[in-house]
Amino acid sequence: METLLDIRNLSVDFRTPRGRVQALRDVSFPVRKNRIVGIVGESGSGKSTVLWAILGLLAKNAEVTSGEVQFGARDLLHAGEAALRAARGEEISVVFQDPMTSQIPVLTYGQQMLDILYRRRNVSAAEKRRLAVEMLGKVGIPDPASRIDQYPHHFSGGMRQRAGIAMALLTGPKLLLADEPTTALDVTMEAQIIHLLQELQHELDATVVVVSHNLGLIAELCDDVVVMYAGEVIEAGEVREIFHNAQHPYTRALLECDPARIDDVSRKLPVIPGEIPDLTRPRQGCIFAPRCQRVMPECRQITPPDVERSAGNFARCHLLDGPLADPSWPPPHEVNTVGRGQETALKSATVASAEPLLDVSALNVQFETMGPIRAKLRGVEARHVDAVLDVSLSVRPGETVGLVGESGSGKTTLGRTILNLVRAQGGSVRFEGNEIRNMPEGRFKPLRRDMAMMFQDPVGSLSPRKSVRALITEPFQIHGITGVDLDKEAERLADMVRLPKPFLSRYPHELSGGQARRVGVARALALNPKLIIADEPTAGLDVSVQGEILNLMADLQFEHGLGYLIITHNLPVVRHIADRLAIMYLGRIVEQGDTAELFRNPVHPYTQALVEGVPQPDPDRRRAHVSISGEVPSLLNRPKGCDFATRCPYVQDRCRGEKPPHYELEGGRSHACFFPLN
Amino acid sequence: MLLYLIKRLGLSAAVVCLVILVLFSLLYFIPGDPATIALGPRATPEAIARYAEKMHLDEPVWRQFVIYIGNVLQGDLGVDVFSNRSVTTIIMERIGFTLALVTTGMGWAMLLGIPLGCLAAVKPNSWLDRITGVLSVGTIAVPSFLVSIWALLIFAVHLRWLPAIGAGEPGEFGDQLSHLVLPAFAIGLSWVGYLARMVRASMLEVMGENYIRSARAFGLHPRKVVFGYALRVAILPTITLIGMGFGGLISATVFAEIIFSRPGIGKLIFDSVMARNFPIVQGAVLVATSLYIFVVLFSDILIAWLDPRVRESL
Repeated sequence: METLLDIRNLSVDFRTPRGRVQALRDVSFPVRKNRIVGIVGESGSGKSTVLWAILGLLAKNAEVTSGEVQFGARDLLHAGEAALRAARGEEISVVFQDPMTSQIPVLTYGQQMLDILYRRRNVSAAEKRRLAVEMLGKVGIPDPASRIDQYPHHFSGGMRQRAGIAMALLTGPKLLLADEPTTALDVTMEAQIIHLLQELQHELDATVVVVSHNLGLIAELCDDVVVMYAGEVIEAGEVREIFHNAQHPYTRALLECDPARIDDVSRKLPVIPGEIPDLTRPRQGCIFAPRCQRVMPECRQITPPDVERSAGNFARCHLLDGPLADPSWPPPHEVNTVGRGQETALKSATVASAEPLLDVSALNVQFETMGPIRAKLRGVEARHVDAVLDVSLSVRPGETVGLVGESGSGKTTLGRTILNLVRAQGGSVRFEGNEIRNMPEGRFKPLRRDMAMMFQDPVGSLSPRKSVRALITEPFQIHGITGVDLDKEAERLADMVRLPKPFLSRYPHELSGGQARRVGVARALALNPKLIIADEPTAGLDVSVQGEILNLMADLQFEHGLGYLIITHNLPVVRHIADRLAIMYLGRIVEQGDTAELFRNPVHPYTQALVEGVPQPDPDRRRAHVSISGEVPSLLNRPKGCDFATRCPYVQDRCRGEKPPHYELEGGRSHACFFPLN
Repeated sequence: MLLYLIKRLGLSAAVVCLVILVLFSLLYFIPGDPATIALGPRATPEAIARYAEKMHLDEPVWRQFVIYIGNVLQGDLGVDVFSNRSVTTIIMERIGFTLALVTTGMGWAMLLGIPLGCLAAVKPNSWLDRITGVLSVGTIAVPSFLVSIWALLIFAVHLRWLPAIGAGEPGEFGDQLSHLVLPAFAIGLSWVGYLARMVRASMLEVMGENYIRSARAFGLHPRKVVFGYALRVAILPTITLIGMGFGGLISATVFAEIIFSRPGIGKLIFDSVMARNFPIVQGAVLVATSLYIFVVLFSDILIAWLDPRVRESL
């Protein structure tokens, strides 16, 4: 098969104040025509650097030290700026990670697309516009002829990414690069975008390179896979080979750590111990050796060979060839190679019978959308939207409840309302039996010791000027607790979250994502709370470390009998830690019940869509169709009947006219659907 | 957009009313009889009595205010106590000179400062960036009256390239223009520095945004990326600054107008204060303030026009 793009021996350094970071070392792989190639790796693997190197758009402190990027007959690395510019957007185009920030907010889509076609001098402006409208229609934007004159902020996240794809394909490029194309999107949207990329690739015979950390996306979309670790390609091959017959210990470990693949929830999540190596230091031997389960003394000394077992399939490991080869490696697909830890501690039997720690019932939160004058002027009567609507939920001591929903579902608002950060308009919030809704802050403050929050952005929620020691003892100061030895407390807490002592004197920017998370956990735990509300506790963490945080949270729960309310959109993760799940849609809980039950037997069509919406890290389980289409409607146009009626595949007339009440089932299960599944 | 316009216009009108109220009550807060104050210490008792009657000073204060507002709305700002001419006419004679000076001063500063800031931001830490940085701080630090005096000395006195004082013969465009060069240079110089710094800072921020990388990834020409994309966003905070600077300059040209003996609002206010000619002070300050408010309003509307997010959020 013809090779469209051939990357050979690419090495890139970044000059930083800490020294030269050797971000890419000797990266080589071909991209064959009409194939979808996935580059998979965790943060720091250099996967995005490869992408920007192809385009010649590396950061200013980057230096290409060797290699070539053959595209057709040209070497892009050594082509002049003018030649590169001619190729960008015309022959090679890009779909960006975050459609919210990668499209200029002050120009309409029409203007942006016209600009991309600026080289086509012989095409009239009207013709260019027609092309742009046609392409917007092709990527599934309804009414493209009028929406082309809108600005990016008029589009929802999913629609923006569709528009981003339309912009990338407008010129009919030979090569399409996609940088984490679904990372910023919700699960149901992700499925739609994957499907769209697949369809368009077929239709346009394009060659695509996708960069992602999402194994599900790679398995679902790609034909060939390149696995990167710390700046090296450690394994490459056809997608089935990678997912079913991985040769490199890192690839094996990565696959085993993906919670989407693990059905057995009785054990702790596997993790790859250690951290990605510091790339400013010179290395010897295998780059993965410090974290490898099968490390041998020689691995730290001798560079492993690239062992090719068939054309295009290779892995870089001593176990596969040479004097250190182990014929029994790799073990069969089902065998786990990463330490799986012990079984999770058994939940104390008292959980089910205990009095609820937190009891929310019929809670309503409204947001004002416009001032009274404007509402009068526009003749709008309802100037409030229901962000949280009739929500009832409880958390017992020692219990983990997962609150799952897509963006705009009101899950974060609910969390903030429970913590008395948002005023509620109706219903009740009881903590240990006492009503706390809309309690004045003066009276509520002592309660904040018992209810802690873990924030979504681990680094952003820490003051950059405070050391870790100061950060984790801050709660003592906020609550004016004297008579404790803060240094001792800091050490106790660091110990508790397994943060090594030297880290106490570091500052947030010196921490990795996982370490910053631990600091967040330590802060939440500082005052021995009874309830922790965790907003996306694993957001932004790599697969190999998110297990550590979740295992840590589980251990702490067992030791201290904590109640957790975990707010997340990540179903595979929440499946492993939550005892019960509440699924939210447009501010309403549409289904609630035991986690295992809910996964085995979803009753509400939305739950079913979410459960099936997660792309599986298995190329044999690709979905033929997208389970639900469309997008979450705006709160401003809440459907008259069932909130999900606009997207429900099983919708009937009654759903469109009438709002379903909450139906109680046995075993604490409830749902809001007229025609429950199963 | 319409609602936004109405809202902003209403707000501006309210501010102007507040200014009128303050200017009006100023006369009453100054100790002594308003007529004496208005006419100055040398006025005869008859003149004061005549003035008091003409000015409705025997009426209650609130009525006087209503009359004053009514007059202002009709364009009547009172009568100059010395020459007995209409204050409105006097101000209108001078305002053109000030506006011409401010527009040219700000204009050349924008034409030079904005591109300089852009170029400095495109190549940070280059020699151009460094020179721009040093010059910016330098020009900001030097007060405009010093620049005026030096410019006068060098270009008018020593080199004799340009006229030193006055505004030129009425009706002769070339002559007026040559009289404008030095004062415009003097008041604009520090704004070159301000604008270059401001534009550089916001350009640096915008150039790091993802959508700039997108534009480059789509192969747009670097000139298009810098001026068509980055500057379009980076200019927005600068427009606010220019609006406020423009408005401020209307009354701050006083140094340049005095040094170059140019007629204008600044000099008018200065002279009237010296002569205790209160109706003119009152009128001129009101006109200068209203112009300021108008320019700020205009710059806000310009921003709303350029940035759809601002336009729709209000």
